Amino acid sequence: MSALTLRAVSKSFGGVLAVSDLSLDIPAGRITGLIGPNGAGKTTVVNVITGIVKPTAGRIAAGEHELTGASPEAIARSGVARTFQNIRLLHDQSVLDNVVVGFHRHETTSLLANLCGLPSVWRERDAFRARARALLDRFEMTRFAMARADSLSYGHQRRVEMMRAIAAAPEFLLLDEPVAGMNQVEADGLGAIFRALAADGIGILLIEHNVSFVMDLCETIHVMNTGRLIAHGTADEVARDPAVIEAYLGS
Amino acid sequence: MDLLLSYLPYVDAICIGSGYALSQFIALRAGLFSLGSAGFASLGAYTAAIALMRYAVPAAWAVLLGTVVATVAGVLMSVPLARLRGHFQAIATVAFVEIIVSLALHFDHFTGGPAGINGLPKLVGTWELVLFVAAVAAFFAVIERTGIGRAFGAIRQDDIVARSLGISVARYHRLAFALSAGIAGLCGGLAAFNSYTIEPQQFGFGLLTLAIGAVLLGGRSSVAGPIVGTAIFVLLPELARPLSDNRFLLQGALLILVITFLPQGIVDGLRRRRAAAGSGRKGGPEIVRTPAA
Repeated sequence: MSALTLRAVSKSFGGVLAVSDLSLDIPAGRITGLIGPNGAGKTTVVNVITGIVKPTAGRIAAGEHELTGASPEAIARSGVARTFQNIRLLHDQSVLDNVVVGFHRHETTSLLANLCGLPSVWRERDAFRARARALLDRFEMTRFAMARADSLSYGHQRRVEMMRAIAAAPEFLLLDEPVAGMNQVEADGLGAIFRALAADGIGILLIEHNVSFVMDLCETIHVMNTGRLIAHGTADEVARDPAVIEAYLGS
Repeated sequence: MDLLLSYLPYVDAICIGSGYALSQFIALRAGLFSLGSAGFASLGAYTAAIALMRYAVPAAWAVLLGTVVATVAGVLMSVPLARLRGHFQAIATVAFVEIIVSLALHFDHFTGGPAGINGLPKLVGTWELVLFVAAVAAFFAVIERTGIGRAFGAIRQDDIVARSLGISVARYHRLAFALSAGIAGLCGGLAAFNSYTIEPQQFGFGLLTLAIGAVLLGGRSSVAGPIVGTAIFVLLPELARPLSDNRFLLQGALLILVITFLPQGIVDGLRRRRAAAGSGRKGGPEIVRTPAA
C-alpha cells in the first residue's frame, strides 16, 4: 500500500524554523490526524507538500513519485489535492462551476480541440457537470448549484472547497481545518464522508482544531508544536502524552 | 443612403478599435496584465504592409503573415514574462510597446521611419471589418465555455488555487499571449489595408490606453463590453462636438465616472443592476442568488 511520506522535512522563513526535521506518513486508505496549537506549523506542512513553498531540507514522495522541489501543478497532477484554511473559492462563479474546475486534472481534450470548440469538448464538459452534481448531492448542496460562491455561508463555502478538491479524484487529500466554524451535526456529517473517502482508498491528512473530531476519525494522530513533531500514536496514546498536555495547557 | 454611407467611417473605426480592445480583453480574462496589444498590432500592420508593398505578397497572405509574426512575438514574450506578475507584467509590456515604436522609427529604409508607409491599397471595407469583429467575439464567447475558459477563470481569480488544481499558469498565459497578440496582429493588418497609411505613433501609448480604456469602460466579463466601450470612445467626440477639442478630457472623465459608479464596466455593471432589480433573485446571466440560507 502506498503512502505520502515526509522524511526529515524542514522549512525556515528567514531564519525562523516553521517546520523542523519532520517525518510523517500519510498512508492510503486511512485518515491521519495532525493537530497542534496555533502557529505550530501545520499549514506550512500542507504548503510544503503541495509545493507552494519549497522545503529547506528533506524529502517528500507520494508512493513512487518524488515530489520534492516539483511545481505545485505537477504535484497536483500526480494526485495530491488540498483545501485551504482561509477559504479560496472562485467567488463570482457559481458553486457548480467551482466544482467543475476541480476536474481539470482529468481533462483529456487537447488545447486545440478546446480552441475549436469540438463536440468532444462539450461532451466532456457535460460529463464533468454530471459528476459535479453527483458530488453536490453527496454533500447535500444541490440546491446551491447555481448560487454564487460568495453568497454562501462559511460552512457551505468549506463544502464547496472540499468538493472541488475531491473532484480531482486525488490519491491523497490534505484537509486544512475542514470543519472550522461548523456545528457538531454538520461536522459528523462530513466525518462520515471522510471515512467513505478513506474506504475508497484515498489517504487523508486531517488538520483540525476540533480535537475530539480528530480523535474520533483518526487511527494515527501527529501532534506538532513550534514546528516540531512532539508526539504521535493513537488517540489515547496522544491524549496521555505529557508533552502534548504541556503544549496545549502550558507548563 | 448618403447619410448612412457617411457613417461608415465610424463603423470602420469602431470595428478596428474593438479588435484591439478584444485583444486586451482576452489577456485580462486569463489574469494576464499585458498591455502589449498596441505593439502586436504594429507588428501585424507593418509585416502585412511591407510584405505587400516590397515583396508583392498577395494581401490576404500578407495579413496572415502579419498575424503569424505577431503571434510568435506573443509566445516569445510569454517566456520572460512568466516570471512576473501583476504590475511588473504590465510595465514590461508597456516597455515592449515603446520598443516597437522605436524600432519602427529607426529602421526607416524598411518602415518609412516617422512618415510611415503610405499609398497602401484600400482592400478591407466595412463588411470585412464587421465580420472580423463578429468572428473574434464569437470565438472568445465559445472558448470561455470550454476548459480554457475554466482555467483562465481560475488563474484570474487566484493563481495559487489554479496551480493546486493542476492548472499550469505558464501554459495558459502562453496561450493568452498568443491569442491576444494574434488578434491584435490580425487587426493591425486589416487596419493597414483599410486606411491607406500606417505610421509608428499610431501604435503607441495612445492605442494602448484606448484598448485598456475601452475594456474598463465597457466591461471585462462579456465580449460585448470591449465593443461597447470602443463605440463610446469613438462616437462620444462626435456626439458632443463642442467638446471634441477636449476629447481626451471627456474620455478621462467618463472613465473615472464609470470606474467609480459601475466598477464592472457599463455592460456588466448594468446587466448586474438590472438582474438585481428585476426579481431580487438573479445575480447574473446564469447565476441565481439563493435566498439567504
